[in-house]
This record gives sequence, C-alpha cells and structure tokens, in this order.
Amino acid sequence: MRTIPLSIIKYVHAWWMSELILTYLHIDHDGVLVSWGGHPRHYGLFNLETNKDAIEQIPFLEGFLPARYTEIIEFIKVGSGRTAHIHLVPFRGGTWVLLFDATAEHDRQQRMQQQLNELSILTYRQTRLLQELETVAKQLQTDKVHLEEIAKNKGQLISNLSHELRTPLTSIASYSRLLEDTSNQDYVLNVKSNANHLLALIDNILDQTQLESGNITLQVGNCDPRLLLKELRTIFAPLASEKKLTLALQATSQLPFTLIVDELRLRQILINLLNNAIKFTISGKVSLILDWQQSNLMFEVTDTGKGISPDALEKIFLPYHRETNQQNGVGLGLAITKQLVELMGGEIRVKSMLNEGTTFSGFISTHTGMRYDNDEDADISSQNIKVLLAEDTRSTHLLLVTYLKESGYTVLSAYNGAEAIALAESEQPEIVLMDMQMPIMDGYSATRTLRERDFKSPIIALSASDLIEDREAALRAGCSHYLRKPVALDILLNIIKVLQA
Amino acid sequence: MAIILKKICMIGDFSVGKTSLVSRYVQQSFSDKYLTTVGVKIDTKLVTLPDQRQAKLSLWDIAGSDTLTSASMSYLRGAAGYLLVVDGTRRPTWDAALQLRDAVTKQIGAKPNILLLNKADLTEQWEVNDALVSQEREQGSTILKSSAKLGMGVEDAFTLLTLRMLDAN
Ligand SMILES: Nc1nc2c(ncn2[C@@H]2O[C@H](COP(=O)(O)OP(=O)(O)O)[C@@H](O)[C@H]2O)c(=O)[nH]1
Ligand SMILES: [Mg+2]
Repeated sequence: MRTIPLSIIKYVHAWWMSELILTYLHIDHDGVLVSWGGHPRHYGLFNLETNKDAIEQIPFLEGFLPARYTEIIEFIKVGSGRTAHIHLVPFRGGTWVLLFDATAEHDRQQRMQQQLNELSILTYRQTRLLQELETVAKQLQTDKVHLEEIAKNKGQLISNLSHELRTPLTSIASYSRLLEDTSNQDYVLNVKSNANHLLALIDNILDQTQLESGNITLQVGNCDPRLLLKELRTIFAPLASEKKLTLALQATSQLPFTLIVDELRLRQILINLLNNAIKFTISGKVSLILDWQQSNLMFEVTDTGKGISPDALEKIFLPYHRETNQQNGVGLGLAITKQLVELMGGEIRVKSMLNEGTTFSGFISTHTGMRYDNDEDADISSQNIKVLLAEDTRSTHLLLVTYLKESGYTVLSAYNGAEAIALAESEQPEIVLMDMQMPIMDGYSATRTLRERDFKSPIIALSASDLIEDREAALRAGCSHYLRKPVALDILLNIIKVLQA
Repeated sequence: MAIILKKICMIGDFSVGKTSLVSRYVQQSFSDKYLTTVGVKIDTKLVTLPDQRQAKLSLWDIAGSDTLTSASMSYLRGAAGYLLVVDGTRRPTWDAALQLRDAVTKQIGAKPNILLLNKADLTEQWEVNDALVSQEREQGSTILKSSAKLGMGVEDAFTLLTLRMLDAN
C-alpha cells in the first residue's frame, strides 16, 4: 500500500476524530483505481481491485470523476453498508475519495426527520378528514331543509291531488253516461282529453317517486336531435297556433347529427319546458334552441309570457310546489325536469322578468356519435378485448402496452409485420394497431396481406408521417383509421372504443 | 464488453414510496412500515431489456422533499434519467412532483423521466383526478400508475425508463 501524500493528510486532519479510521480510494485521471485503504466494505464496497476501472467497481461515482474541486457528498449509504460522508479531493488530475462514517449523525437526523414527516402526514390526513366531515355536515343540512320542504308540500299535495283527480273523473263519469245514448264526437274528445290529463298526472307522480328513491336509470342510445325537434313541432304546433303564438324550434349548425343520450328523458325534459312556456304565454313567442358546446347539449326555452316573481323563482324547482291555485297539475313538472337534467349530468337555470317573459336554459352532458368517454363504460367494455400492437420501437411499444393494459385491454405484441400477421391469424384480435414503418415487413404489406386473407377486424395505422399520400396509402392497404405519432392517448382510446362498439 | 452504466434518481416528496419502489424492484420486497430516508441510499441492479440489451442501473433513492435541497442537487450529478414519484392519495405530492421536475431540468438539463402515480392499490383514497393526468399526458409527459405494495407497474416503469435512457444516447 502506498503512503498518503502530505496534502491529503493535512486535509484529513481537519476532519479527524480519534474513533474514526480513514477509508480512502485513490483514483487517477484515467479513472483507474490506484490504491485504497481502510475499510471500504463497511460502506458496502467489496472486492475492490486496483489497476482497474473505478466506476465499474464503484458505480455511484458516476458523474463525479475526476473531482475538479473539493466536494462533500453527505449521507451516502451503499447497499446495506454504513452511511458515509464522502469527500472528493482533487489530486494531480485524479481524485482522492475519502469516506467518513456518518452513521451516528444519520440516525440522529433520521429520528428527527421521521417525527417531522409523520407529524406532517398526520396533519394532512386530519385536515382532509375535517374537510370531509364539513362537506358531509353541509350536505346533511341542505338535505334536511329540502326534506322539510318536501314534507310540508306533500301535505298540500294530498288535497291538491284529490281535487285534481276528482274534477276530471267527475267529468269522465258524466260524459260516459251521456255516451251511453248519444255518440257525440265532442263528448268522446272530452273523455279522451280528461283521461289523458289523468294519465300524465299519474305518470308525473310516479316519475317523482322514482326520482326521489333514485330508481330511475338512463337508457342511453342514439338520438337524432333534429328529428326530435321535428317531433316536438308536431306536438306543439297545434297548441301554439290555437293561442296564436309564434313557435320557433331551432338547432345550431354545431349540433351533431347523432347524440348518445337517453332520448325518452331528453324528450320529456323539452316537452315539460315547452308545455309550461306555452301554457303561461298569452301572446308573442315561444322558442327552443338546441346547441352544442364542449361536449354538452345546450338548451334554451324562452317565452314572452307573464313572467315569474323573484320569490317564486327561488322555489320553482321544488317538488309539489305550486305558485297559484289556479295552476293545473300538482307542481311536479319542473321538479322532475330539474332532477332529470341533473341525472343526465347537467344543470338548469331560470331567468325571468315579470310581464316580459321567462327563459329556462341549461345543458346535459352527452356524447356525439364519435365519442365515448365514460370511464365506467370503458372498464366494462374493454374487458376481454384483444388488441394486437405491431410496433418495432421498443419504448413506444412498451408505453402503448402499459396504457392499453391500464384501460383494461389484453394486448398481443408484435415487433414487425410478419409477427403481426401470424398473431392476427392465430389470436383473431378485435383491434389491430399497426405501425407503418417496421423492419422485415412493413405495416402496409402486413395490412394488405391480412385483408387479402379476409381478416375483418379494424386496423388502425400508426405513422410518423403527416403526408396525405402516406395516409391514403395506408387506407388503400386496408387500414380503417390513420393516426399520426406521437399518438394522443385519449384519441387512440376513443377510436378503439368506437371501433369495438 | 463492459455493460453500460446508467444512473437513475428517485425524485418526489417524502413518503410517496421512492424507497419502497426501489426495494420492490431490487429485492422484490415491501414493508408497510415507513422509515424516513436521510441523504441517499444507492443500489445497483442489472437489467435485461425485452430486446436482450443489458444495462447496469445505479439507483439513487434520495431523501424526499417538495423542493430541491442543495444536498440533493449534488446527488443529481451524472443522472441519465429519473422517476418522479407521486403519492396518488396526497394531491400536494403531485404539485410537488411537477415543480421538482422543473427544478431538476434546470439543474441537469432535460433527461428521460417518468411520472409514477404510486399507491395505486389505495383507490378509495385517491386524490389525483384523471382530468389532471390526461392534461399532463397531452403535454407529452409519460405517466404510469404503480403500486410498490402489489408490485404493479414497478418493473414496467424502470424498464421503460431504461429504454428511454439508452435510446437517448
Ligand atoms: N398502500 C401502499 N403503500 C405504499 C406503497 N408504496 C409505499 N407505501 C408506503 O408508504 C410509506 C412511505 O414509503 P417510502 O417508500 O418510505 O416513501 P419515500 O419517502 O418516498 O421513500 C411506507 O409506509 C410504505 O409502506 C404502495 O404502493 N401502496
Ligand atoms: Mg425514502
């Protein structure tokens, strides 16, 4: 073992404590371990060999050699060794690495830091809990007020209801008697309209009961909103022209042609709003506009009716609430409307000026025919779906696999076109993601071959190219979609979901 | 032929699971007990990639903090990439990770990195919402979920980071 140069001894002197034995490594300017001394194994360094590359034996020195100025790296623990303060001292182009035991200091600091960190996490959890408690308490309070209001209104309901049921029933009964001997068309119509009124009434009460007990589930399907508008026109045009009101039902150009939504409930919402608007408007105009903004269906129903007083506005959405006794019904229409809108992930607002008119506006969250981004849907629908990924760049491959698995898909991996063909034929995946540039056989040939052999599942082309020609070539080869790399994950997942549906 | 050596740093607030991820990866073990890391603990691991390339990883498990301390700056020297770890059940650790990433980039330049949403087994306590994640992914970040407890996503994260570091050469 060589002797330690004087400058190093001097340096060490400043740090020397009698109970410590100096451990050192001397590394020359080529990064070769020239000599070592002391007890490197205490610090997790075993089998050191001189005249060999230092970094290979002591990987943690990566990036630190050669030292250009004296530097201390504190509290380093290698493997299960003791903790050291490591001093790097430059010496003739090379480096002296000195290791000082810092285990005692480490343990002391650790105890302190541990307490601080644990306390901090505890405080955090406590704050969160308190916040949650507060929200729950607030919710309970509003629920309570709400329930009290309903209870109060329900008493009123009983009397209203009996009145409401009695009048048309009486009418039905007497006209029915008349029907026994005459067959006057007006009598028949009267019976029919009273019976319909009763039916609507009872439907509303049933809906409200179900909404209150959370028993309504949405039946989501395809809906053409323009067709819906046409239907509404057929329903309301006679009523409007009878009262000489202008009826304007419109869709903006942004509105998609297909919406994924519970059409029955959407129709119910719009019918309720239009019905009210026409009912409370003596002259002027009733209009409905459907629009599409940020994946939401926006609706707005405006009338030039008598308006609603500010006091009444506050209570307008409460169930069983009626403003005047002259009003028909039991005051459920708007309550149901609001609850349905909220069930569909939306909101409804009302604005009104006395004697000028009222506007009900809001939105419901729906999807266009091209988007499904309901996460719960995704989890169910992606189960047992096999996606074949043909991609040669390893990191892109692994990343896509990880994301696809995270979304619940089973992934089959191919790294070139030939592997892709073999896997596609043996496993029959529901979806194929095909990189266009791959070794051995590229994505164009692989796709063409698969289509020639009657492979039916959608193939999504992944390509770094943005050229129209490349896109066309991919589609001509038989790809169903073309995505440019780097692929936006959300878009890819959406396309897969739409294709598999 | 010498196997290529790559230094990886574990970055993130305290108690997000940095130490646990390393010990799951290196020793296939996990402990529920929390032991604060002081300074840095270094492990090495030989990794064989899916394409049979090999690399030796020097894993630097650095004491957690929501900001870069002067000590951790010297620990970063020579790092070829890093894992930014977030405790999915503590939202502030997400914000800390994004800030740390900026600080690390200032210190050692842009390096391959992966943001790990750890503790994915504790979904009922989850505080990092999906919108936040997709938004960050749209900016080009790689974000994966992991659970050091269940061993889920751990190997994938280290492998992907290694691939990225090798490809960055
Ligand atoms: N449930 C769960 N706990 C974890 C996970 N990873 C770490 N922990 C726990 O979180 C605490 C902090 O972990 P640790 O690795 O010391 O965090 P570090 O400070 O970032 O190194 C410990 O109690 C671990 O047991 C995980 O994936 N799931
Ligand atoms: Mg730790």
